Amino acid sequence: MHIPDGFLDQYTALATYGVSVGIIGYAIRRGNLSDENRFARAVTISAFIFVAQMIAWPIPGGTSLHLVGGALAGILLGPWLGILAMTIVLIVQCLVFHDGGITALGANLLNMAIVAVLAGYITYRTIVRTLHRISSIRKRFIAGFMAGWISLILAGTMTGLEIGIASIVLRRITYGLAVSLPIMSIWHGILGVIEGSITGSILSYIGFKHPRVIEAEVQKVYE
Amino acid sequence: MNRIIVCLLIVLITVSPLFSIYLANLVGYREPLDIVAEELRLNEVEFSWTPLKDYVIPGLPDWLGYVLAGSIGVGIIFVFGFIMRRLIARRIR
Repeated sequence: MHIPDGFLDQYTALATYGVSVGIIGYAIRRGNLSDENRFARAVTISAFIFVAQMIAWPIPGGTSLHLVGGALAGILLGPWLGILAMTIVLIVQCLVFHDGGITALGANLLNMAIVAVLAGYITYRTIVRTLHRISSIRKRFIAGFMAGWISLILAGTMTGLEIGIASIVLRRITYGLAVSLPIMSIWHGILGVIEGSITGSILSYIGFKHPRVIEAEVQKVYE
Repeated sequence: MNRIIVCLLIVLITVSPLFSIYLANLVGYREPLDIVAEELRLNEVEFSWTPLKDYVIPGLPDWLGYVLAGSIGVGIIFVFGFIMRRLIARRIR
């Protein structure tokens, strides 16, 4: 899902940079970085997501998938620290390994570090609060699954939106959005089942072993 | 840092080439974004600022380069975290 250089026009690139820098700046202020334990946990989760993203699961038929991990970061760290953890991952990937373009870094941050994290966090919190009657393990799996799935669909759709707009501006392809939006959202809707299963399984395990670590459950009224 | 997490990171880095190089070559690596790019005739601009592009280390076999690139990435994240922690602690004091 990392957009490379050359796929976005200058307006979309600048706009997404502006929005991302603004939201990440806000996340730095709200993320409570002075809490050493939470900060150390954020760095560890960044390292885990970085490595998890390196593992591409090839799917017979010619496509592949890797964990994005935005929902996982948001649920485990809370939205602001989750955004910062994903930001670290994406900046290292872009600057050190050229995974995603430098001109598209703003868009990639917006899709994977902001939209995916916030969507995952909100979905998880809403579902956990709604499901009262089932066991904690099952509840965490269902909420984690839905959070991972929805976060991937939204991040993929956002990517499709940016590329569709850019194709109209760059190449005057008037049907750009009609192509990019359905392809990105439908494919990520299918691949999101795997993202959701991994997110749900990790959260069930962590919730069983260390339930206090899941920030999306601990926080009463988030900052 | 928890010993389990260190072991998990080592295991994941070690097995990563099996999935992302061997199996990916076997079935053909193609993300949904590549399908969109093909449909809309979008081309990637070919310029690079890093010798480690696409997790490849020049002169090394792909699988070994991939493992080392993963280790370098994790190392950079932890060094960055350590520096940030020191800076924040100093600012609080």
